Amino acid sequence: MSMENKRYYLELRGVNKKYGNFQASRNVNIQIEKGRLVALLGASGSGKTTILRIIAGLESPESGEILIDGKLVNNTPGSERGVGFVFQSYALFRYMTVYDNIAFGLRVKKKPRNYIDDRVHELLKLIDCEGLEKRYPNQLSGGQRQRVAFARALAPNPQLLLLDEPFAAIDAKIRLELRAWLREMITNLQITSIFVTHDQDEAIEVADEIIVMNHGEIEQTGSPRELYSHPQTPFVAQFIGASTPVENYQRFRFFQSLGDDTTAILRPEFVSVFKKGENKKYTESAEEGVVEDVIFRGSNLEIRVRIHGVVLSGNRGINDPVVEIGEKVDVFVYRFLVVDGKKIVRLDNSSLREESIII
Amino acid sequence: MDIRKNSGVVKWTLIVLCSSFLVVFLILPLIYIVVTALRSGFQAYWNSITDEYAIKAALLTIEAMVCAVVINTIFGICAAWTLTKYQFRGKKTISTLIDLPVTVSPIIAGLIFVLTFGRQSFLFPFLDRFGIQIIFAVPGIILATVFVTFPFISREIIPALAAQGTDEEEAAAQMGANMFTIFRKVTYPHIKWALLYGVVLCSARAMGEFGAVSVLSGHLRGKTNTLPLYIELLYQGYDFNGAFAASSVLVLLSVVILALRMWLEKRGAKEIDVRK
Repeated sequence: MSMENKRYYLELRGVNKKYGNFQASRNVNIQIEKGRLVALLGASGSGKTTILRIIAGLESPESGEILIDGKLVNNTPGSERGVGFVFQSYALFRYMTVYDNIAFGLRVKKKPRNYIDDRVHELLKLIDCEGLEKRYPNQLSGGQRQRVAFARALAPNPQLLLLDEPFAAIDAKIRLELRAWLREMITNLQITSIFVTHDQDEAIEVADEIIVMNHGEIEQTGSPRELYSHPQTPFVAQFIGASTPVENYQRFRFFQSLGDDTTAILRPEFVSVFKKGENKKYTESAEEGVVEDVIFRGSNLEIRVRIHGVVLSGNRGINDPVVEIGEKVDVFVYRFLVVDGKKIVRLDNSSLREESIII
Repeated sequence: MDIRKNSGVVKWTLIVLCSSFLVVFLILPLIYIVVTALRSGFQAYWNSITDEYAIKAALLTIEAMVCAVVINTIFGICAAWTLTKYQFRGKKTISTLIDLPVTVSPIIAGLIFVLTFGRQSFLFPFLDRFGIQIIFAVPGIILATVFVTFPFISREIIPALAAQGTDEEEAAAQMGANMFTIFRKVTYPHIKWALLYGVVLCSARAMGEFGAVSVLSGHLRGKTNTLPLYIELLYQGYDFNGAFAASSVLVLLSVVILALRMWLEKRGAKEIDVRK
């Protein structure tokens, strides 16, 4: 499909929202294709939930347009936008059974009784909660509650599903299972979905596409891989992935300075730590550092090395020869993400280029 | 020291103290009322409580009570909803004003209404033109009763509504439910027991109200005398049998309400336990 006739299922154009003096959304533009699973990622107070609520019709923007399936819906009530909403704390109706919770939206829309009954049972089967229809929300586990909230939102057959921090209220272990479950469910149903999260791992693992928000503005939109390897703003570079700030990257060999007031961000995977003599490929261009700490991370070891007055983190495999604290090691930095004002420039180790030319 | 395991002198002293207090101030007077009421025999008692004016007074008391409960229920729900679901300037002031009737002496409340609606008030000509009589009439009694029982229902509902938050209402609204459906299906189940409890408290207070009603009533026997006023009238007229007989009716009503209250507390606690 070419760019010209690409039709977005959801579009936000120049949306602004203020609460008193607080600018919750600033000129927000979003385009989402049908069937995508999108994460709105940001710290708390970054305006991500506001955007979700604006799309759902729970808030109205001061200015800007909201288009769903090509139609302007600014003046359409939330219930007629074909949107399902899963609230952060699920907001299940405490005084209704699971059945009544799921049936609520259908009853409000005055669907026939038979239809409601079939639909509720279909959804109970989908969320694997058959037999729980007579229970009350407080008699369910956290995971079951989330799935009931999911089913309740899906009952009226929305074309767009919005989830506000869907995993926040669940303990860590079940959270991982639910992530996979939700992703699978949404992929199978092919329903366009947007979920809000503050957890970058969650966004990276679950979403096809991530919208990073900060101070009510969109910093960057892209696939998890794009955001990870090509961050466009300092905020994204620091927010996505592990990072160490390096003020004096200019002192590292084979990196030219991009200006005096520039600093850099370094990811652990840009750093290799070698025992003396172990390093064959980069012998010429590695620099000497001292091991400050070795931290066991399960699948790998994080080595903290002091070099040029900064402590960098690098990874080593579990089966690599052991390095000790205080040991002198060879450190090779592949790349810095240099912060130049509001831009990010990828700065590669220049010896890599030279070596590749030689080879 | 584990205070619950202390079975020594302190515990029993306190228990005895509390019990004797209750006996002296509550049980004894109640027994005394019943005994005095029946002193001249059951026939005299029956005659006293089936007296035309006694029955009228009892009916007026119930009328004022029902009106107070209905008005305060409507007002209480509106006030509680306003105070818990919206953010606005002056919220604190409204919240404080709701409690005012409890702190103002009922006599003063009565006088306030006499001044507001009586002959010297600027409102009087208007009321008079439309033939509305408030002072020394049934509307005045109802007004006074509503005033003194003002905060009872709203104060019970506010914590229940505040604890619930607005999430569930928001979810219902997002699915297209109208205000009435939201209230009936989502909000009402939350406040049901608190509301009923408030109704019971309000009824009890309305039934026994003396001060404010006394000022506004004018003591027209058979017309504006409520049960407490009627009792006082008999008592002042040295008709002890009649006074205590009428009192026993009021006591009976209180006992019914107390029983209702206990039952509500039990049911409510059970249900809240299940649905929390």
